Amino acid sequence: MATGEPGSPMREGTVLPKEQAGLCPTDTGGDEPSAGPEEQEELLAPQSNGPVRVADGQGDAQEEPSDKELSDSASTDNTLEDSSEFGRPLGVGVCEPGGPPTTHRDEDVTAASWRARRKHVFVLSEAGKPIYSRYGNEEALSSTMGVMMALVSFIQSGDNAIRSIYSDDQKLVFVQQGPLVLVSVSRTLQSEQQLRQELLYVYYQILSMLTQVSITRIFERKKNYDLRRLLAGSEKILDRLLNLVESDPGFLLGAVRCLPLPASLRDTLGTLLQKAITPNLVFSILVARSQLVTAVQERAVIEECRLEPTDLHLLLNLIGASSAFQAGEIWTPICLPRFNPDGYFYAYISYLDAECTVCLVLLSTDKESFYAVSDCKRRVEEAMRTQGSLQVLSGGLQSPSYGVGQVGVPDLRHFLYKPLDIPENYRQLPQFTSPELEGPYCSEEEQHRLFDLYHYLHSRIHSTSRPLRLIYHVAEKETLLAWVTSKFELYTCFSPLVTKAGAINVLTKLLRWIKKEEDRLFIRYPPKYSTTPNPGKGTKGGRPDGAENGFFAGL
Amino acid sequence: MKPDGKVVLLGDMNVGKTSLLHRYMERRFQDTISTVGGAFYLKQWGPYNISIWDTAGREQFHGLGSMYCRGAAAVILTYDVNNLQSLIELEDRFLALTDTASTDCIFAIVGNKVDLTNEYALLLETEEENRPEKPVTGCISTKVQKQVHLDDAVALYKKILKYKMLDEKDVPAAEKMCFETSAKTGYKVDYLFETIFDMVVPIILRQQAEGPLQTVEITNYKSAKRTKSGCCA
Repeated sequence: MATGEPGSPMREGTVLPKEQAGLCPTDTGGDEPSAGPEEQEELLAPQSNGPVRVADGQGDAQEEPSDKELSDSASTDNTLEDSSEFGRPLGVGVCEPGGPPTTHRDEDVTAASWRARRKHVFVLSEAGKPIYSRYGNEEALSSTMGVMMALVSFIQSGDNAIRSIYSDDQKLVFVQQGPLVLVSVSRTLQSEQQLRQELLYVYYQILSMLTQVSITRIFERKKNYDLRRLLAGSEKILDRLLNLVESDPGFLLGAVRCLPLPASLRDTLGTLLQKAITPNLVFSILVARSQLVTAVQERAVIEECRLEPTDLHLLLNLIGASSAFQAGEIWTPICLPRFNPDGYFYAYISYLDAECTVCLVLLSTDKESFYAVSDCKRRVEEAMRTQGSLQVLSGGLQSPSYGVGQVGVPDLRHFLYKPLDIPENYRQLPQFTSPELEGPYCSEEEQHRLFDLYHYLHSRIHSTSRPLRLIYHVAEKETLLAWVTSKFELYTCFSPLVTKAGAINVLTKLLRWIKKEEDRLFIRYPPKYSTTPNPGKGTKGGRPDGAENGFFAGL
Repeated sequence: MKPDGKVVLLGDMNVGKTSLLHRYMERRFQDTISTVGGAFYLKQWGPYNISIWDTAGREQFHGLGSMYCRGAAAVILTYDVNNLQSLIELEDRFLALTDTASTDCIFAIVGNKVDLTNEYALLLETEEENRPEKPVTGCISTKVQKQVHLDDAVALYKKILKYKMLDEKDVPAAEKMCFETSAKTGYKVDYLFETIFDMVVPIILRQQAEGPLQTVEITNYKSAKRTKSGCCA
């Protein structure tokens, strides 16, 4: 589960061999901003006339890498021809009359409010071409992104890699993955490591739509290809992902949240999915309002690889950000980048109730198996109706999770609990549980504040330089305690007046409660099935469809 | 349960394919978000189950188009009347995808979003019987000059016939197969789908009469692909 752990996501090869003043190359833990802005200004001065805030940068710095990289821009490849550069009408047509510019895309990038954003995320190509910006139009930001690329190339020319820049109130984190450069500019309390992790989620989400091999191939053919052509329409998926990353602890913990359910009901549903199979089906996932109900894996696949929480998060985000109404059944190629960054699965997605809360996702390796897979859904749906479990599921969703009050300890406000004592032979999905957010964490601002604190504790616990097992943190409006053992990872939030002894006492009660409820809160024994009599041995189980995908078929 | 006939919606992103279908199936308009891959719907039409594939217009999913089009009895090529490029894309990008459709496939060209044009009020007066569910209120704001006219769609229809090597005499007339709709107000949406479904029924009957052939078609379809459309003659 590389994504949840510190240290693993970055290839170590990118670590700077020697330190550069001001450009923080190594993991300083993120607790102490290591370099003052003055030093950075010194260093950046010859590059761009903007100071630390790269948004001030001038366009002329952009030319430098461009001249070098774009020399082959006269590529003759027609299919990849970037016919009208930025001028291509992206099909937006006419704005709704009278409708306000609702999306972040229309934001004025010169406005102070744009600069004041909590967290910016940019994606650009190695040629410095804008691919995505969380706020504001990429075109308006092309010079800013040019400066970013100039920074990256400048450091690269000294056989180094830029990792981050610290200023007074923000961190800039750079991640380079193949031909893509991802940059986060954040005012949050998150550590560099956590911001890096978020950028990787963005990268993986892009892979989930295009695959690594196709991105590499595209940029091999044409360095200045405008990747927005292929991602047009997908901005909302990335927007949603970035909002989720900040509000769903599953991304921070690298774990999935299960819908609390009586174990017997979960087992029945698992059995149902186990029975409704067809050749080449590899994953069956039942989800209710973005919380996992149960997931079944093909036996041969599970032996070699398990479903990664990252892949499940990305899959659910993609589904959540795509249009569907109840009557429709979606059939789309999708890549699970942590499972295999180069191959496609074919995902069948269908809602089982009129409110679109209960969703069945079936992944197949066979592009042509839509009708067979659709038939599996019909069987699942019918069985669920006869059992009455569909009603239970959608009825239970009135209160999707549970309140912290159920634990029965007054000082406890909220917690995140991730069990670590999972029997390895079950290849269990990493899971976590947490109660619904209640007052005082109802407003988005308060939620951000709480998650900032969780992020801070998480970064201290997982600090690569000085990891901690226990941390008791008295914040302004609450007291927090984080504790990691071999059996669990736990973050708790108390009312501010709790005493240390009181907090420990609460923890004991909480752990007892979780133990009592664990059959309801977690999937204990994930079911499996065999769909293929002779799964290609040695070929990594039901290997997903190779490079043959939507995009390349069109090339 | 295998559907009896297949109708495919094609067109650039943001032209309103999902909204059209949503209007027809669910009787309402709501903001949709970009479709991924393709979405499958079943519509009971008389004794037949007609499947409708709503495809993603995004270039990312382009190569899948021919998969969704395989064996299609009707293809609805959709553009946005306020966006000329979306009509051009139909010819440049989407027409070739229909190579895998049934040889007697019918084509419809649909310009959506007419409610945004300044001609819309005029249209409503002349088409009393197709009055939308409720008149657009509060939308007095700027209507725009329509960018794509019905003539342009008719011209595209004729190009398609040429591309498919079909004789104008053997297929429905261009005027009959070019539509202008508004998913937002419901203008002519039912008319569009019902016209298409009525036309698909004879194709279903023919496909069923050729019964066993149809099952062969899926696996052997490549060899059958470019045969002349003799059955229409």
